[in-house]
Amino acid sequence: MFGTPWVCRPCLLRALRPLSRRYVQYQTTASAIPDSISPALLSRARAIAAEHDQLSKKLANGFDARAAKKLGEFSAVVNALKEWEKANESLKELNTLIRDPSIDSELRELASNDVIATTEQFAQASHALTTSLVPKDPFENLPCLLEIRPGAGGSEAAIFAGDLLRMYQAYCSREGYRTSMLKYEHAEGFQESLQEAVLEIEFEGAYGRFRCEAGVHRVQRVPATESKGRTHTSAASVLVLPSFPNNGGSVEVEDLDDPDSDYYIDPKDVRTELMRARGAGGQHVNTTDSAVRLTHIPTNIVVSMQDYRSQPKNREKAWQLLRSRLAQARREKREEDMVVMRRNVVGVAKMGRGDKVRTYNWGQQRVTDHRSGLTVHDLDDVMGGGHTLEKVMESVRNWLMERDVETLITIEGDETKNKGKR
Amino acid sequence: MPRLAPQLLRHARKIDPLLPLLLRPCRDLVSAQNELRWLREHAIKTANNSEKRSRIAGWRTVLRQLVEERTTGKPLQYILGTEYFGDLEIVCYPGVLIPRQETAASVTHLVDLLRQAEDLPSELRVLDLCTGTGCIPLLFQHEFNKARHDKGRLRLLGVDISPIAVRLARYNHMRLSNMRDLQRQERQMFKPGRDNDKKKNIAKPRYSTLDGTEDIGAGDTTEFMSADVLMDPLSDRYEMDAPPFVAEMNFENQPPFWDILISNPPYISPSAFNRTTTHSVRVFEPKLALVPPPSPGKSDEEQGDSFYPRLLTIANQVEAKLVLFEVADLEQAIRVARMARDSDKWDGVEIWRDQPELESDSEDEELQEEFEVVGQGNGRSVLCWRGPATQWLGKPASTIFTRRTPKKVWLLGQELEES
Ligand SMILES: C[S@@+](CC[C@H](N)C(=O)[O-])C[C@H]1O[C@@H](n2cnc3c(N)ncnc32)[C@H](O)[C@@H]1O
Repeated sequence: MFGTPWVCRPCLLRALRPLSRRYVQYQTTASAIPDSISPALLSRARAIAAEHDQLSKKLANGFDARAAKKLGEFSAVVNALKEWEKANESLKELNTLIRDPSIDSELRELASNDVIATTEQFAQASHALTTSLVPKDPFENLPCLLEIRPGAGGSEAAIFAGDLLRMYQAYCSREGYRTSMLKYEHAEGFQESLQEAVLEIEFEGAYGRFRCEAGVHRVQRVPATESKGRTHTSAASVLVLPSFPNNGGSVEVEDLDDPDSDYYIDPKDVRTELMRARGAGGQHVNTTDSAVRLTHIPTNIVVSMQDYRSQPKNREKAWQLLRSRLAQARREKREEDMVVMRRNVVGVAKMGRGDKVRTYNWGQQRVTDHRSGLTVHDLDDVMGGGHTLEKVMESVRNWLMERDVETLITIEGDETKNKGKR
Repeated sequence: MPRLAPQLLRHARKIDPLLPLLLRPCRDLVSAQNELRWLREHAIKTANNSEKRSRIAGWRTVLRQLVEERTTGKPLQYILGTEYFGDLEIVCYPGVLIPRQETAASVTHLVDLLRQAEDLPSELRVLDLCTGTGCIPLLFQHEFNKARHDKGRLRLLGVDISPIAVRLARYNHMRLSNMRDLQRQERQMFKPGRDNDKKKNIAKPRYSTLDGTEDIGAGDTTEFMSADVLMDPLSDRYEMDAPPFVAEMNFENQPPFWDILISNPPYISPSAFNRTTTHSVRVFEPKLALVPPPSPGKSDEEQGDSFYPRLLTIANQVEAKLVLFEVADLEQAIRVARMARDSDKWDGVEIWRDQPELESDSEDEELQEEFEVVGQGNGRSVLCWRGPATQWLGKPASTIFTRRTPKKVWLLGQELEES
């Protein structure tokens, strides 16, 4: 490998550490992103650039939708690589200049001053290139389903689950995202308390934005139901699923009819039940019962839907939910397999399941996210779905990006090692 | 009616004080909760729309009144004023039967089959006898035009003896086509890049297709008329105000021939009316829509079946290629299927259950050797076809009542092969 800066990194870059930290916004987890790029990732980027060139040539000879789509995916990497090569080149030139004994001292002085800025540029380009190589979540551009249920903590948990639902609804309406309530079940007791809710967030890209919200959300406060004024800790769980609209929508993901895709469902595997055995049916009965229950027999995943008065609508929504849950389950399974293969890798789908991700503390009026480590103090604004909530969510998205980079580096490293062995 | 368990009532009261009242007509908690939610939405809408605000003390009062009305057993559909029939919201009115989901399932399945047909006539004519709210032709049209296709246009005619039903059916037709127009205009309005033409587009007459999106179903004709399907045209009893069907068809200048005949006629016998219908049906829905009229010398069962021979005769008069009749249960289905088969006028007859689109449970197929029984649930309708309809349905041309061949022969063959 030529001119790899990996070698000169320690000497040149150590002094610049504080500068490079700028790109790592949340410092609680030590920065996972090195100031340069690993040789393995670099050669991967070059391979992609080569393929990009070939595809462009192919496209010049005639349109091919699939090539065009791939090209689009690659262009971020190609651009980042160009920037990186440029920075790398300047840095190399400067270094040669500095070391060249024949150069006069004034020029050398100038050059060493430039080194600082150029090194920073180089670190930035390396970071951007690494990030561009992180595989995009395949469902990032889909709408999503937010499922909220009370966890431990009895009626207080049910009230908090209701609070979370309203928080996300407020957030969506502030951001101008259309939502629709697929399912809403009251818990007994307070009007506001929730047994289960499924909120569909219809904008394409909702999954990418909300997937970090999955996990156990913990609340610490004096419940409305508490007479002695004691603070309780309870929890509600949030599940975020990519949503696959039945009629395709404008998002093009893999084919719904492709048996290899995560959300393919063989209709034969699904048992449909109209909830109540209704005796004679037909003209004898004028029931309003429009409930539909679907059972995916191989996995025993059951979905029931009864919120709409129209039975076909319930059926359509039930299928949508089933497809999402099944895709999620399959993905978790795949990621579990991956974890077994390579330790340290935490799957996105599994992420947050059962883990406490965030604490809402009323007494201290604060919200702490346990992944990004960010603490904010405007609790009311968070619960009102305001900008502070977006700040917290963003911190987690950044945190996740760092984790992804870390994973990428581990995987690439492993692969290079394995290749070396063979 | 069994008493409701006290703990269920207590549990319901904890969730909402109005819920125990709804348990009486609904019988179970989940349905009661659903109805309460729908009634609440309706109450809020009514209260907001009301001009006489001063008279109405907000939606909570409205809701309480609605719940109390429902407690008497009055169907929710009459209270809310609509029922969903497939995807369509159909207006309901006391005096006209509420459309049933099973009917929608059969009609939807029939249209699903027809949409795959290759050689439908350029104008497909569909006759619906005993049309009530008009739900069957309206859903037929909606489903038929759902996907873009080049299947030609539809001529739909709904017939009912009851003048209120005919009025309601016409109203439903008008309401749905207005809603469709609105939706299309909305689509055109939000079409990117057509901002300048926006106003022009809206002003264009209904069937124009300026933007290239075809106004599917624009050439269709949907009509409703009142006539008596049962009355023999040769008899001279004209006591009721509805004229006999055939005379009225001539008078209204309707075409003499129709491709498809659908009917969900009154099919409940007097004894079944007392035994199997629910209180809410018996008390609040029109008996005219449920029980065929008595006639001298007919048994209870024959009275329940009495529309079908008439409907089959009309099917022959209009030279229908395909008929779909709803029935009460598997027994009536078999009796009607036999009438059709024994008339020797049909190339094939089969029975559909409540959900004909689902794969049949294989176990109970053994019970019925005489006719193919399709789907899951109760026996719900009878389908007969002949001539070109054989191809429309994708049926093999030569399967005329294969089920009549004794099963044993086949079994014997298998045994022989195995030994
Ligand atoms: C069971 S309802 C079916 C209504 C509608 N097709 C549906 O599926 O909801 C039967 C309808 O037949 C009408 N009807 C009863 N006797 C009739 C007759 N002799 N001729 C025509 N229609 C009749 C009733 O008015 C009623 O609307």
